Amino acid sequence: MNEKTRLPGVARIGIGGPVGSGKTALVERLIPALKARNIEVAVVANDLVTREDAERIRRSGLIDPARVLAVETGACPHTAIREDPTMNILAVEKLIETFPEVEVILVESGGDNLASTFSLELVDYWLFVIDTSDGDDIPRKKGPGIVRSDILVINKVDLAPYVGANVENMVRDASQVRSGRTVILTNCKTGEGIETLVDQLAHDVLFTA
Amino acid sequence: MPTYTKVLAHLSQPDVADRVHALSHDGAVEFLVLSREDTLRRRLRGTTDKGTEVTIALNRDEQLSDGAVLSLDADKALIVRMSEERWLRLEPRDTDAAIEAGYFAGNLHWRVRFAPGALLIALEGPVEHYLQRIAPLTTSGKVLALQP
Ligand SMILES: Nc1nc2c(ncn2[C@@H]2O[C@H](COP(=O)(O)OP(=O)(O)OP(=O)(O)O)[C@@H](O)[C@H]2O)c(=O)[nH]1
Ligand SMILES: [Mg+2]
Repeated sequence: MNEKTRLPGVARIGIGGPVGSGKTALVERLIPALKARNIEVAVVANDLVTREDAERIRRSGLIDPARVLAVETGACPHTAIREDPTMNILAVEKLIETFPEVEVILVESGGDNLASTFSLELVDYWLFVIDTSDGDDIPRKKGPGIVRSDILVINKVDLAPYVGANVENMVRDASQVRSGRTVILTNCKTGEGIETLVDQLAHDVLFTA
Repeated sequence: MPTYTKVLAHLSQPDVADRVHALSHDGAVEFLVLSREDTLRRRLRGTTDKGTEVTIALNRDEQLSDGAVLSLDADKALIVRMSEERWLRLEPRDTDAAIEAGYFAGNLHWRVRFAPGALLIALEGPVEHYLQRIAPLTTSGKVLALQP
C-alpha cells in the first residue's frame, strides 16, 4: 500500500446536540464512512453518569474498542465541552498517544439543549445535530448550537412526515440564521446524507478532497 | 492548494518584521484575517485578503495568533491577522439591574469584560441575536445596550 502523506496533528471533530437527536447513531455511521476513505478514527463519548454511549460504540464491531474512550461529565454536559474541557482534552491526548496512526477523533457530547457549543480548544470543528421530531420551528429559535456550529445536521428526515415537520422550512430557516453556512440532512437509519457530510468534512478539516 | 503546517515565525521578531516590510513594497504579503475564535483551531480552511484559498493543519503544540507567519520566502509571505473584537456595551440603570444583567450574561455563557459602569459582551455572532436575548432587560429600561 502507498504511504500516504500525513498532515501534522489530528482533526478533532465535535458532535453536539439535544438529547436523543442521533449523535451516537451519526458516530456509528461516520466510523465506517471514514474508514472506507482510508482514514483512521478514534472516539470520545460523553455521558452524564454512565458510559452507555461509549459501551454501545465499543460493542458495535465498527471499531477497535480500545479506540473508544468514555468521559463521564456529571451534571452539565456543556461544561465538559466548553467551560472546562479538561477531561475531554485529556481523553483526546490519550488516544493520540496510544494510537499515533489516528487521523480523526470524534468527540460526542452528552445530550444537552440548543445552547451548547464546543470550545475550539477541545475541537477544531464541530457539528450540531438536531432532528425533525424536535419540531420544525427549532432553527428559528436561534440557539447558539444551531447558529454557530460549523455544520448543522438535521437528522431523522425519515420521521418528518410522521411528526408533521416541514423539512424545507427547517433548512430555509436554518440557513438564514446561519448566514448560509452548511446544513446537511441525514437519516442515520439508512445512511442517507452521510457521504455528503463526509465530503464536507474532507473539504473543511480533513483536507483529503 | 498549499496546506500550511507550521507557524514559522512571528511579526514581533524584528528581523522577521523587516523582511515582511520589505516584501510588502512589492505587494508580496498576503494576510489571512481570522476571528479570535478561529485562531484557536488547529485545522482550518480560509481565504486570504488576496482571495487565495489556504488550508492550515497544525500540531497541538502550535497555535495561530495575530502576527503568526505561515510562510516567508524571497518573494512572498503569508501572515495571520486577528480581526478586531466587537463588544456590546450594557449599562445597567442601578445595582439591581446590574446584578440581573450579570446573571443573564453568565446564564447565556457570554464572554464578558468589565468596564466602569458597564458590562461588555463579546460579539461572536450577529449583534441582533444578542439584542433579542437581552430584550427583556432593555425594553424594561433596566439596561441600556450600546452597539459597537
Ligand atoms: N427514525 C430514525 N431514528 C433515528 C435516526 N437516528 C437515530 N435514531 C434513533 O433515535 C434514538 C436516539 O439516537 P442516539 O444516536 O442514541 O441519539 P443521541 O443523540 O446519541 O442520544 P444521547 O447521547 O442520549 O443524547 C435511537 O433510538 C436511534 O435509533 C434516524 O435518522 N431516523
Ligand atoms: Mg449518544
